Amino acid sequence: MTHSLHREGSLESLEKDYVLFIYPARGFNYKGSAPKIRHLVELLYQAGPVNMIPTSLRRNMYSGVTNEEILESITVEGTRVYSVFNDREKLKKALIRIKEANEGISIMVSGITDRVRELAAELGINPHMVNLSLGIHGRTDRLPPADIREFTTMCGHGVVSPHLVKDMIRRVKTGKVSEWDGSVLLAEPCTCGIYNPCRSAELLREKSPLYAVDRW
Amino acid sequence: MMIHEEICVGCGRCQPYCPTAAIRYNGFKSRIDQDVCYECSTCLRAAHCPVDAIAESPNVYDYPRALRRYFSDPSATHTTTGIQGRGTEESKTNDVTLRVGPCEVGVAIEIGRPTLGMSILDIQKITRAIARAGVHKIEPHNPIHSMIADEATGDLKPEMLGERVLSAIIEIKVKRDELRGILRTLKEVAKEVDSVFCIDACTIVEPGLKIPEEVLESIRAEGLTWRPNAKVNMGLGRAWE
Repeated sequence: MTHSLHREGSLESLEKDYVLFIYPARGFNYKGSAPKIRHLVELLYQAGPVNMIPTSLRRNMYSGVTNEEILESITVEGTRVYSVFNDREKLKKALIRIKEANEGISIMVSGITDRVRELAAELGINPHMVNLSLGIHGRTDRLPPADIREFTTMCGHGVVSPHLVKDMIRRVKTGKVSEWDGSVLLAEPCTCGIYNPCRSAELLREKSPLYAVDRW
Repeated sequence: MMIHEEICVGCGRCQPYCPTAAIRYNGFKSRIDQDVCYECSTCLRAAHCPVDAIAESPNVYDYPRALRRYFSDPSATHTTTGIQGRGTEESKTNDVTLRVGPCEVGVAIEIGRPTLGMSILDIQKITRAIARAGVHKIEPHNPIHSMIADEATGDLKPEMLGERVLSAIIEIKVKRDELRGILRTLKEVAKEVDSVFCIDACTIVEPGLKIPEEVLESIRAEGLTWRPNAKVNMGLGRAWE
């Protein structure tokens, strides 16, 4: 699971961060799902996601893999697709096309609930279920600072390391890497492809002036 | 994971990639602390060692250490579920499976998240607390289920207790009127563990993505709140098998 309901940050920042999943159900609609999922991915491309990974390939959009390679990998029944949009209107375009295609595969959207509610109403979609985040519990004193978690929680499995985020802030601040290139590097460990590099670049731009760094 | 000391040039490039800071200098070379390493393979996959000194440990698939790999590497397929990831399809396909019914709430305890990970000994504290609260059925398709030695007590298999994982998910479902009790249990056990967990509550919504008031009231009654962002199943799936 991708933990996408626990993404942290300001409302303004989360307005530019929507995760969309294409998810067949084992035992219910796995058989024959591969061509349907491939079709849905073709539709997603037209809407302009900022990151995407199918589980059949596990390489994100910035790894050098081509769109054709991604599509050609979707031959395995049950392939799941994870994608991110940085704009409500792009997400809307994707949902319009997915609804029209009517392929019968489950679609999940993670984002600000009020925005998803608005979109569903505009498109005549009746959402089935909501998964609410009730927060972090236990030794929260051991967590990295909240501003670092705005980056790390974009990877649900926790493999975008807080140390790597701090290192990237240092590298941006010392001019060794641009905000965008730093964000692409931060996106690489996330094998679910739901790290949002556009939002990450904005966060690097916003946070790096706040940190004192060692030039080493 | 391991680093071949004779190959490592001590550049330190891999060190910040480790989510748990298990890679440190030992003299002029980087070394991975085997006790701290979760076997998530992020260093191997993403750090791009300039001399290819990073490799899988020879014992990574030995039981019970293999649990670290299955629960910590998102691209590893878990042997008991046949799917990648720590949990099940849960709310993502509920429009097709109806695993969580109209009068129920699915509760997921996302262990070790974000980023800290958790010892299996601490996971057992949570499974025991849930069992004491009267919930003896953990989702059978979740890999945690295969770790349970005794459903009545929530005890896990003793040989696993020395291991630790970057993330795992305990998935249960309760009747809506039981939600408050299980949330209270989780708040209590949170004081006993040496790490963190996130709580998810998934429920079928009313028309217009209206969240049932009974569910919200239970959350409020335990002094909890919900984040403004959530995961929504759009209801576009259907079964054909």
